[in-house]
Amino acid sequence: MSDVLTFVLPALLQLVLVLVLAPLICGIIGKTKARFQHRQGAGILQPYYDLAKLLRKEVVISSVASWVFRCTPYLVFASTCLIALLVPTVVVPLPLDRVGDIITVISLFALGRFFVALVGLDTGSAFGGLGASREMSIASIIEPAMMLAIFTAAVTAGSTNLSIIVAKLSSTPASMMNPAHLLAFSGLFIVTMAETGRIPVDNPDTHLELTMIHEAMILEYSGRYLAFVEWSSQMKLVIFLALLSNMFFPLGMAASMSPWALCVGGAAFFAKVIVLAAVVAVVESTNAKLRLFRVPELLMVAFILSLLALILYFIIGA
Amino acid sequence: MDSTNLQTVGLLIDIFAAAILVTAFLVVSSRSLVFYIRLFALQSFFLGIVAFLVVLGYGETHILIAAVLTIAVKAIAIPFVLSRVIDRINVHKEVDFSINITVSLLLCGGMVILADSVAHSILDAQRADAPAVSRVLSVSIAMMLIGLFIMTTRKKAITQIVGLLTMENGVFLSGLSITYGMPLIVEVGIFFDILVAVLILGVFIFRINKTFESISIDSLRSLRE
Repeated sequence: MSDVLTFVLPALLQLVLVLVLAPLICGIIGKTKARFQHRQGAGILQPYYDLAKLLRKEVVISSVASWVFRCTPYLVFASTCLIALLVPTVVVPLPLDRVGDIITVISLFALGRFFVALVGLDTGSAFGGLGASREMSIASIIEPAMMLAIFTAAVTAGSTNLSIIVAKLSSTPASMMNPAHLLAFSGLFIVTMAETGRIPVDNPDTHLELTMIHEAMILEYSGRYLAFVEWSSQMKLVIFLALLSNMFFPLGMAASMSPWALCVGGAAFFAKVIVLAAVVAVVESTNAKLRLFRVPELLMVAFILSLLALILYFIIGA
Repeated sequence: MDSTNLQTVGLLIDIFAAAILVTAFLVVSSRSLVFYIRLFALQSFFLGIVAFLVVLGYGETHILIAAVLTIAVKAIAIPFVLSRVIDRINVHKEVDFSINITVSLLLCGGMVILADSVAHSILDAQRADAPAVSRVLSVSIAMMLIGLFIMTTRKKAITQIVGLLTMENGVFLSGLSITYGMPLIVEVGIFFDILVAVLILGVFIFRINKTFESISIDSLRSLRE
């Protein structure tokens, strides 16, 4: 019974939090971008309506599609839900920190990406193949940058376990302003923009043939399949924002399961994610999308920032 | 000055040194000449702040003049002159590189590692109780290497000047980190030297552009005959 209270219940609450919050954050980003363009924009609840509509719609499957096409939406959704259980959100220690650490999170992302790229190839459409090849070539630069940024945080804490990273950082607030830490944060921020298909790298709003990456791979999806894929990518954004805020600035996280601490932790998490989402929207509104051949230069900057962070950790120390 | 304040100053020096290094990397990563100049101004501003922090933390008041001069000359006067030159010659992009940006960034990352190992062998020979600012030595050596790298791989004359100035910033920073800055008369001499050099080079670029219709240093080879 105590196991249920200390592990299962908080884990489920965290999963529900990420599931419910994800469309809202995307709605807020969309609204902010619309205001930047002097448009009224759709309401911030619009992504919920979209998901509900897609879930009710009929699924159309290409006659050449294989089992990969049918199982990928569930697989991606399940792996994203599992990641949502592993990242720090409201309370530390994390309920499921013995199940997987930060490396598990990275490899679960890679698993989802692999299957989505397979789907791009599976239906044999020209756009799918194009999207898959772009996604994979970009991923080959993003992943090392992400690993280096995350390892900087891990090396500072002396562990890859997310609970220990967060706890160590909370106990020594001065190390949040450490230059290595700040550089790793900015590296991971660029990675976030690339990973979640945001503007300097990919545009989430259009289906323009020449520029799309993520949209090109999932072009054949419809109905509830599309809903699951979309929902997963919305959750991915929230997960990255949670990693950015709590792995680098774990202010206000609840240290116990008391209701008051949970309320404060929840409010702090909500505030941090909203602030980061607003920053994402501002970056998206003030930058033009890069030409595809310029994207590796931006990602190399992210890689170098993370590399510098790691080097500076050894030069200057934590 | 008690030890907690000294720690705070040390942390701030670390942060600004890291920021200086990042501006050097951003110069390597970009193509726009105007952006180079702005980044150089920012870099010199951070350098001035590091010098101020050394005054604050270690009570070396003679650096105060050097800090003020850094901000006045390198963060305001030189960028102003260079922007005027860019406006008049009407060239805004660095287009031809000897080495592309992605590889340049990786090579510069390698240079930081090299600089760190060199700095360690210098610092280990020194006393063990070195102050916080001496940790900045590896950043300053890396700056010199990156400045040299910019000069050797970029072809526009303006970029060459930015490379030279980046090297100069590295030299100033290394002076700060090992000996709390050189004697004042040397520093002041260097500042006027740099300022006059940039003024002359600015005029020079303008003449090169007028004669060759380009500021790419490749065209200077035709001077030989």
